[in-house]
Amino acid sequence: MYSNMIQTNGDIIITQEGIADTFFSNIDISLLEKINELDEVKSSYAMIVGASPVANLPIVGIYGTTKSHFPHYKLQKGIYPKKGEVILGSNIETQITEKTIKIANKEFKVSGVFKSGIGFEEGGVVMNIEDASALFNKSASFIIVVAKSHENIAALIEKISVMDEDIEVKTTESFVQEYNQFKIIENSSLVISSLAFVMGLMGVTSIMSMIVSSRKKEFGIMRALGKSSLFIMKNLFVETIIVSSSAYLFAFILSTIILELVPSIDLLQGYVSGSISPNIALYVFISTLLMALFGALVPSFIASKTDPILLINQGCS
Amino acid sequence: MIKLENISHNYDGEKVLHAISFEIQKGDFVFLSGESGSGKSTLLSIMSTLMKASEGSLSLLHQDINEIKNIDSFRQSKIGFVFQFHYLIEYLTIFENLQLAALDEKKSNIQTLVDELGISELLHRYPNEISGGQRQRVALARALVNDAEIIFADEPTGSLDSKNSRIVYELLHEVAKRGTTVVVASHDMQVKEYANRVIRLVDGKVS
Repeated sequence: MYSNMIQTNGDIIITQEGIADTFFSNIDISLLEKINELDEVKSSYAMIVGASPVANLPIVGIYGTTKSHFPHYKLQKGIYPKKGEVILGSNIETQITEKTIKIANKEFKVSGVFKSGIGFEEGGVVMNIEDASALFNKSASFIIVVAKSHENIAALIEKISVMDEDIEVKTTESFVQEYNQFKIIENSSLVISSLAFVMGLMGVTSIMSMIVSSRKKEFGIMRALGKSSLFIMKNLFVETIIVSSSAYLFAFILSTIILELVPSIDLLQGYVSGSISPNIALYVFISTLLMALFGALVPSFIASKTDPILLINQGCS
Repeated sequence: MIKLENISHNYDGEKVLHAISFEIQKGDFVFLSGESGSGKSTLLSIMSTLMKASEGSLSLLHQDINEIKNIDSFRQSKIGFVFQFHYLIEYLTIFENLQLAALDEKKSNIQTLVDELGISELLHRYPNEISGGQRQRVALARALVNDAEIIFADEPTGSLDSKNSRIVYELLHEVAKRGTTVVVASHDMQVKEYANRVIRLVDGKVS
């Protein structure tokens, strides 16, 4: 994801003041020299992000960056781009066979193919920032700074902020959290997954409820034999825990396998990825267990209040 | 032993039993007879504490059932049931079915009973792996495993041929001779040969 691209490469991001989207941000690249003179700075790079039709593809991400950032792109073949050259992300390499491609009516020679582990980049084209600057008519979209120490980030941000009144300086972490597009994606994902989760829980409850209801005859027989309602509910409790824990374990393993496979599905071009955090895993497990117990124990409690012979007859009908 | 006083019962507002009163003594083999719909199964269910009567009082073993604190435990230790369709639990073996019904201190009865009833070879099979007659003998063993003082049987031979029916009645007769009270609800007049008392129900009334 785009957020990974920003977060994994640095500690501080500098964008244009008041511009919420990096695609529209334009800052002066000469800031880079002043920033590099600061003692607290380990490294920095500038980048231009844009999008344009490339060869036969209708829209492709274009990343123009300073040479200092090239090592981030692991070359699979060829060399890093010089002026008038580009390297292709591994996800679009198979779709672009030409050695020279046209981007916004300008010809670029393909000098290599890279992998970076970030789907957003691997589906795009990387070039020198000077070429990108000419293409998109801007100096830089943003600058990323890597600090020597994480202890004085706030002070470093203060120092950079006074260098130009038209810039906004933030930690990459807070930028990603505040970035509207990321928020929309995150909230949409949260709503969709929450809905799916709630429906799943309702399914678990309803299945457990149906299973228990279909065993009315058995409970009737047990009660006719003198087994108490508590005995029956205790057995059901243990059964429910075993069944739902097994189902959860199976679902967890399946989800983990799917999440491992998703990034390598060609159709998705590496744009989709995900992981299951321990907190989420625990939350899902506890919710599943509680809803399964609710689905199992409520009908069994109702059954415990019914005459045994009625349970047997209902179970037979 | 068993005392019913003015037992009446309604199903969905319709009266199916009308003020039934009688007493049964220890060791009686009672044949509760009547046509289908006469109310004999309902009466048997009420007498065996599997269902509560709408009106009237019932005493078992000289105790008013409303005053028994733990009716489940009472049912397990004092009452045995034989149903028409055996009602063994399908996912348990014959041995497990008998163990489920047996009180801890009566589990040792299982081997003696299965030997007597000729089903010792079936202990590790499942109910669907044995014949109808064998299943009913297992159901009888389950009813007897806790040395119940009263055995209730509702159409116990309803799904059996005449040969197996005779075996079941003879076994119940043998149980009654040992002092256990046996109440059989059936429309099969063959029971009459074994019973020492017949209570006939017609339209929910003792005739």
